[in-house]
Amino acid sequence: MVRLFVRIFWAALFALALSGASFAEEGAADAAKGKQVYLKLRCFTCHGRVGQGGGFNYPVPALAAIELPVEAFQAFLREPPNDMPAFSTAVLSDKEAADMWAWLHALPGRKPAKDFPLLNQ
Amino acid sequence: MSSDLPRADRRKFLKGAALTGAAALAPATAPAQAAPPRAELKAAAPGPKLVAAETQPPANDPVNQTSSGGEFMVDVLKALDFDYLAMNCASSFRGIHEAIVNYGGNKPEIITCPHEEIAVHMAQGYAKIEGKPIAMMCHGTVGLQHAAMALYNSWCDRVPVYVMIGNIIEADKRAPGVEWVHSAIDPAAIVRDFVKWDDQPASLQHFAESAVRAYKVATTPPMGPVLLSLDAELQENPIADRGKLRIPKVTKVVPPVADAGALAEAARLLATAENPVIVCDRLARTPAGMARLVELAETLQCAVVDQGGRMNFPTRHPLNQTFRARAVISQADVVLGIEMNDFYGALNAFHDRIVRTTYPVRKGSAKTISLGNRDLYLKSNYQDFGRLADVDLAIAGDGEASLPLLTDQVKRLVDEVRRSAYQGRGEKLAKAKLAMVEQTKSDATIGWDASPITTARMCAEVYAQIKDEDWSLVGNAIRNTWPQRLWNFDKSYRWNGVSGGAGVGYNAPASVGAALANKRHGRLTLAFGGDGDLMFVPSTLWTAAHHRIPLLYIVHNNRAYHQEYMYLVAMAARLGRGIDNSEIGTVIADPHVDYATVARGFGVHGEGPISDPAELAPALKRAIAVVKSGQPALVDVVTDPR
Repeated sequence: MVRLFVRIFWAALFALALSGASFAEEGAADAAKGKQVYLKLRCFTCHGRVGQGGGFNYPVPALAAIELPVEAFQAFLREPPNDMPAFSTAVLSDKEAADMWAWLHALPGRKPAKDFPLLNQ
Repeated sequence: MSSDLPRADRRKFLKGAALTGAAALAPATAPAQAAPPRAELKAAAPGPKLVAAETQPPANDPVNQTSSGGEFMVDVLKALDFDYLAMNCASSFRGIHEAIVNYGGNKPEIITCPHEEIAVHMAQGYAKIEGKPIAMMCHGTVGLQHAAMALYNSWCDRVPVYVMIGNIIEADKRAPGVEWVHSAIDPAAIVRDFVKWDDQPASLQHFAESAVRAYKVATTPPMGPVLLSLDAELQENPIADRGKLRIPKVTKVVPPVADAGALAEAARLLATAENPVIVCDRLARTPAGMARLVELAETLQCAVVDQGGRMNFPTRHPLNQTFRARAVISQADVVLGIEMNDFYGALNAFHDRIVRTTYPVRKGSAKTISLGNRDLYLKSNYQDFGRLADVDLAIAGDGEASLPLLTDQVKRLVDEVRRSAYQGRGEKLAKAKLAMVEQTKSDATIGWDASPITTARMCAEVYAQIKDEDWSLVGNAIRNTWPQRLWNFDKSYRWNGVSGGAGVGYNAPASVGAALANKRHGRLTLAFGGDGDLMFVPSTLWTAAHHRIPLLYIVHNNRAYHQEYMYLVAMAARLGRGIDNSEIGTVIADPHVDYATVARGFGVHGEGPISDPAELAPALKRAIAVVKSGQPALVDVVTDPR
């Protein structure tokens, strides 16, 4: 499944390079709307309300401050690996996916653990 | 049924009975001595039958007795050294109930439980901490039906739970109505698939022998629940001849040590491997178990993956690679599984997709060894044994009992060259462990001040309050792995395993049972529990308050049956028709449950609901002060899902 993910990732980048298209051309991604989409699609049930990650049948990765390119993120949503559900265009448009990415990308991510005494007990 | 009383009418054998009561109070006058009726009386004179009924003693209807079969049963229970009996009172065992509280001086001490499921789960939690079972008692029909799920959990968890049920075997002895619906020909039938042994003794001597046998069966690995059905007549009627009754010797069975030759072969495979890995689940039965596993792992300097069925391996040990399981197993050339419930699942990955698939995690060339009791005993119907794993060397024997011999065999094969190689391996594992811990700490910082509170913050706040105490975490919510990833579990009682059968309603009562065991050792007992789990058995809190059982219970309140919520989202997404309805039947909202108020209603100190992380520490401090005073306390933490 890791290999599948890598294939999707590079395919998305390749498609982007060929077309020269970007979500920016369809209108700037709206992080506020992205949060609404994230909550509406119940992404938080696995990934947490602030993108901190969680656990389903496996550990679920954090999405806060996501570094995955938006196109790869979108491709991932269409055909995810492991037990993650797929989100087709019937329930999530490309624009909504871009909005969601914008919100996740802007979320504060990991911080240095040394600054948290409770994490160093 | 046979009996130590005659079949025609047991009550004729009431040798200890005294003819008192109404009979003793009856007038001594005979009908012939009655005064002649006076002419002015209008009522007819009583006939001879009525006169006889009113003036003669009944044929054989004593109202007092001086002994009961229940007393002998109590003697047997005392011989078995049960500290407690968890139960909800029921008429079908009123005989032994009375004998325990009066004849036995409330030994074993009765723990009053508002539900039979609570009683069994308390016994399950207690046995894992204390290393010995307590007794549980219920109605043979409706009570056992309540208890059944908890018995299934205990069965899957390989825990000895000693169940006694009341029944009225002889049809002509049952009162009309309730006693008929509370009687069964074979009451154990509904749980026989998941108890290790059961019996319905027909005499007191039979009871004594079956009671001792049941104890031995339950506590011999592979351990499991046992059941005795106690006839009400046997409990209640006087003992015909106490002098003829004897209690058999109570002898514990020595757990089976695996074959020495097979262990030598396992040792050879492990000692010569480049990357051996040990995976374990329900290994440590006693405090010695963890120390023995540490000795083997340190001898080999190999990775250990602890699946958490028991407190098997210290969490901060550099060789503990539990949260790198996939990485270490995929690199292993030998995998030793000890007391594994699902060895197949450890060696393979599964994907819950439209087409369900599995694929091996381990290398195809890797050798696999199983050691444990799993192959010695299983049943057919319920599928708790899991998928059959490919194993190159299957060794039957108790894991904990066999470890010293295995370690000794490995040590014999370790020369200087190997010792040096092992050391290098151990250092690499230690580095990887350290990196993983740092990554985990970094992950925990995300959403640190968020509300609802992240599970990482909740666990960090709790650990700050208990880390300097002699703590024991005896329950956890599903997938809350922060404690095992960041806390220092370094003693045998730091962790008490999981439900076994994943039957919801385990956490609260099993935690109270474990807290009851920890109480005598002066440990600070705490547990995390999901809100959905507590909703099944909230009255557990009353038992904790009533019996002054100190427990800090932290509700991981994500306001949902969250695992099922996620499944419903996945199903809806799979079908591409929107997921807006995923809350239906999965969330616990509208109204939100205020568990602190619920707790106070049951007499338990309640804090919360707390949704601001800054309020957690003060609330925990107050709750822990209550627990340290000998009382239970609950903290309701409104959390993000996982």
